[in-house]
Amino acid sequence: MKRMLAGLLLALIATQSRAEEVLVFAAVSLTESLQEIGKACEAKTGAAVRFSFGASSDLARQIDAGAPADVFFSADTAKMDALEKAGLVRHADRHEFLSNQLVVVVPTSSSLRVAGAKDLAKLPRLAVADPEAVPAGIYARKWLESEGVWTEVKPKVVPTLDVRATLAAVESGGVEAGIVYRTDATISNKVRVVFVVTNGPAITYSVAKLVRSKSSAAQRFVDFAAGELGRAIFERRGFAVLR
Amino acid sequence: MTAEDLSILGLTLRVAAISTLMILPLGLAAGWALARWKGRGRAIVETVLSLPIVLPPTAVGLVLLDLLRRSGPLGRLLDRTGVDLLFTWKAVVLAVAVMSFPLLVRPARAAFEEIDPRLLGLARSLGRRPAMVFATVALPLAWRGIATGIVLAFSRALGEFGATILVAGSIPGRTQTLALAIFHRTQIGQDEAAMRLVLMTVVLAFFTVWTSEILSRRRERQLQA
Repeated sequence: MKRMLAGLLLALIATQSRAEEVLVFAAVSLTESLQEIGKACEAKTGAAVRFSFGASSDLARQIDAGAPADVFFSADTAKMDALEKAGLVRHADRHEFLSNQLVVVVPTSSSLRVAGAKDLAKLPRLAVADPEAVPAGIYARKWLESEGVWTEVKPKVVPTLDVRATLAAVESGGVEAGIVYRTDATISNKVRVVFVVTNGPAITYSVAKLVRSKSSAAQRFVDFAAGELGRAIFERRGFAVLR
Repeated sequence: MTAEDLSILGLTLRVAAISTLMILPLGLAAGWALARWKGRGRAIVETVLSLPIVLPPTAVGLVLLDLLRRSGPLGRLLDRTGVDLLFTWKAVVLAVAVMSFPLLVRPARAAFEEIDPRLLGLARSLGRRPAMVFATVALPLAWRGIATGIVLAFSRALGEFGATILVAGSIPGRTQTLALAIFHRTQIGQDEAAMRLVLMTVVLAFFTVWTSEILSRRRERQLQA
């Protein structure tokens, strides 16, 4: 029994996070770019970078509840505003230099044509990240609202947990179309872009180190991602980098 | 199987084992007390203890999250002591412990109740103290039932989803257990990678249920004899 307890205690100590480890909570649309940036940052600074990708709304809620994240990458500024208001992020620590674009995608085999927002109302189903909470879904809803077709499209919406779940739903062929970011569409060869949204709401990502973070490498990771090398990686992956 | 698959399996097994070890003394005490206690209010206590079996796991998760969040009653206490609990592997242990507790208590209680009270009375009359009666007479006699409870609690801990995702999130390498990883991989369209994990859970479940079958068979034979 004593040995068992000692083992438990050891397990507890062993899993305490090291100071040179950074836990980054990030919008799922940034997955490939941030993993590449993480590797480059690890090679340069020696700090271990770990990620939890998901809908920014979920991640912000978890951070607000006390999740031990060091850095947060949100797909919109609203979630970061809320964390700043809660005192979890300092205004001066925020960086907003990334943008993206919405596109309508269909399964590669589909012959569907979409000339504009109005055509989406004619579809039996449309996959969209949860339009009440998830940034990609909120952007899509705002676009459809500004086009005056939201009330017609709303009953057709299949809400998903995050934008990559939207992409997977379209890839599987279970839904006729979906609204995702341009950068999501480019990572899949099972979907085809049929419409690019040019008059949608401004999409702005926000990144900041969290006030509660005890990791000495957190700021270094943010500086790295927002620096020349990080921006180049984002740009190569199809994001718009704001100057 | 990739290194990631194995680390998910390792985390899941570790969390389930720690949780089961943690609830064992409490669950035995509760099972013993409920088996011996014939007073009023017993039905109510039993019902309350069994709630996690009947409630949706997400409901239990939300209650835990509310108690433990930074502004919550217990969360403030944790914050002051500097303990990070929510969205760490410790939160996974807590969630699965709460969800699996009644599955340990109920069979343990039933097993304690099956013991012939005359045996316990005899041990008492021979001068054994109550604690000794429990340890040397009741525990060995009820052992098969307790083992079934342990197996049930352990398997619940292996597969818990709803409460876990609310209090611990689904952080790869930290809080993402098998059940969470299967869901996550399906969500992002990696069905094949998810299926590998499903196969792992099938093997795990097979051995857990098999163990419990063998134990209950032996128990039947024992009762017949």
